[in-house]
Amino acid sequence: MESQWLSLFDVTIDFDQSHLFFPRIVTWILVILLGLILVTRYRLLVPGLKHAGRVLAGREGEFDRKRFFGTLVLTTLYFYMMGVLSDVFPNTGYSFLICSIVFVFSLSMLYVGQLSRRLVVIIVLNALIAPAIAWYVLAQLFRITLP
Amino acid sequence: MDILSHLTPMFFGLIAAGTLIGIIFGAIPGMTATMAVAVCLPLTYAFGLENGVALLLGLYVGGISGGMVPAVLLNIPGTPSSICTTFDGYPMAQKGEGERALKTGIVASIFGGLFSAAVLFFFAPVLADFAIKFSNVEKFLIILLALTVIASLCSNLLMGIFSGVLGVWLSLIGTYSIMEGGNGEPRLMFDFMEYYLIDGFSLLPVLIGIFGLTTVLLDAETGFKGDSERGRISLKGGKKFSFGVFKGQLTNLIRSSGIGTFVGMLPGVGGSAASVLAYSQEKNFSRDSSQMGKGAPQGIVSSESSNNALTGGALVPLLSLGIPGDSTTAILIGAFTLQGIQVGPLFIGNNMDTWYLIIIALIIANVLMFGIMYFAIRHIAKVIEVPKYILYPLIIMMCVVGAYAINYGIMFDVWTLLLFGIFGWVAHKIGLETVPLIIGFILGKSAEVYFVKSLESYGNYSIFFTKSPIAVILWVLIAVSLAFAIYLNIRNRRQAAVES
Repeated sequence: MESQWLSLFDVTIDFDQSHLFFPRIVTWILVILLGLILVTRYRLLVPGLKHAGRVLAGREGEFDRKRFFGTLVLTTLYFYMMGVLSDVFPNTGYSFLICSIVFVFSLSMLYVGQLSRRLVVIIVLNALIAPAIAWYVLAQLFRITLP
Repeated sequence: MDILSHLTPMFFGLIAAGTLIGIIFGAIPGMTATMAVAVCLPLTYAFGLENGVALLLGLYVGGISGGMVPAVLLNIPGTPSSICTTFDGYPMAQKGEGERALKTGIVASIFGGLFSAAVLFFFAPVLADFAIKFSNVEKFLIILLALTVIASLCSNLLMGIFSGVLGVWLSLIGTYSIMEGGNGEPRLMFDFMEYYLIDGFSLLPVLIGIFGLTTVLLDAETGFKGDSERGRISLKGGKKFSFGVFKGQLTNLIRSSGIGTFVGMLPGVGGSAASVLAYSQEKNFSRDSSQMGKGAPQGIVSSESSNNALTGGALVPLLSLGIPGDSTTAILIGAFTLQGIQVGPLFIGNNMDTWYLIIIALIIANVLMFGIMYFAIRHIAKVIEVPKYILYPLIIMMCVVGAYAINYGIMFDVWTLLLFGIFGWVAHKIGLETVPLIIGFILGKSAEVYFVKSLESYGNYSIFFTKSPIAVILWVLIAVSLAFAIYLNIRNRRQAAVES
């Protein structure tokens, strides 16, 4: 009787399909949990989405769109240009060095509040010196692979 | 004595450098010990395992300790684990006792750190010896227990479990590794992604993205308001520090360190939980808690000894079971992987020298943390004035190095960093829990292997309940952690209803 009952839980895993066995179970659990979350929180969902839309559009709340989207755009450009320049200067780290100088300067200028001549000098020096030190220590001294 | 050959000036220098950099990271609000370890990880490529781990442990201890500086001086916890230090530290600073508060915290920190190092030394090998006997069934249940405990301590149980399962799902993207007994077939991706995701997402770009870039994005959306509001801080004046402040605090020190170490051992439970638990216990059990919250040194003692005790505690499950105790030790797994070492029950037995060096590094990091912070606290306090428009661009730059170098130069890993940085920001906004997600991501592949191998061997799902008494105990623990979470949820709702 007991063995009959236990046989309900028998399972055979086909080796050819074994890569899908666990992911299918996890995906189903994920879908069920998502369903539970939506059911228990559906009242918050639509107002929450509307609020998020208004905040992102700058019509509500204190969301600094310039700095947030500026960070995303500059970071994307930084990564993209690094990839492009690394084909021009392969295995030297120059692509990292050049792009980092421009990126650190641009992002600091985006983040800084009120500009003064002294601040610009600090930002320029930081943008020149920090990437140069990082490049020298990592790529030259420690031989770490850089773009 | 091979160990002595590793105790070089380089070894000590790296611990000192790591501790100092960690303190600086911890002292800057918004930057955590986890971030410090993630950002500095690429430096370990150049060192061997022992020196690399020495640097990272210095960063870990320094990062946790540095968090007390802004907690006392600005009322902003530098790291989440310093949350309760603000309760008494800031009132003391307002009375002109900032230096006294900080030095009280520093002494409590070294006590907590050394206490947990001792527990790690004696307890981890015992746990590892016990865990060696585990079969795939018990190993799978241990991972299930870890994820359940993490999820149950989240603010929302359902979101916690969902986050953990999502982490597991993300880890399964790629091929089912032949090295692990799989069939080498890809899954959970479109054909055009196979070129990039054949091995799935690399752990470190994911971690660096979620803990590094997400932090920058979260601060960027606020426009760095806190930056301009910080004034100059003076530590001079007021009551001077003396060790007399610890008179009658031994029980508090031991209890709080014990709580911190225990909480550290629970996978995924952060330092903030250790700090809050130790603080509330001191409030409940001390003879006179009337001054707590108004500037009582005993509050700082409980908070700081517990959060530093977390460091050794979090290393116990990492080094004995291969399960990270918190987000920082999750990154340490990456450091071990980089050096080709797999942490788990066999780690200590197979790497005795490394094991002893880890203990030595942990002790030295605590001693150096004490030395650096105690004698240079006035200079360190100035770190919190460094503006983020200088720091954050450099953080992203270092994140790139870490992500790119992990697989010796793959640009896709840098894009993974950006992808998961944005994902971490979205997760934060919609209430997903980062820690269960990360732990799920780290343990997901192992969970699959143990689960599938168990079923291939026994051919019946019931084996997970009937394999051994340990399996039954693990199921009981899973049930208890879930019941505890449901109880907490109901109690919090009732409290909220009463308050409203």
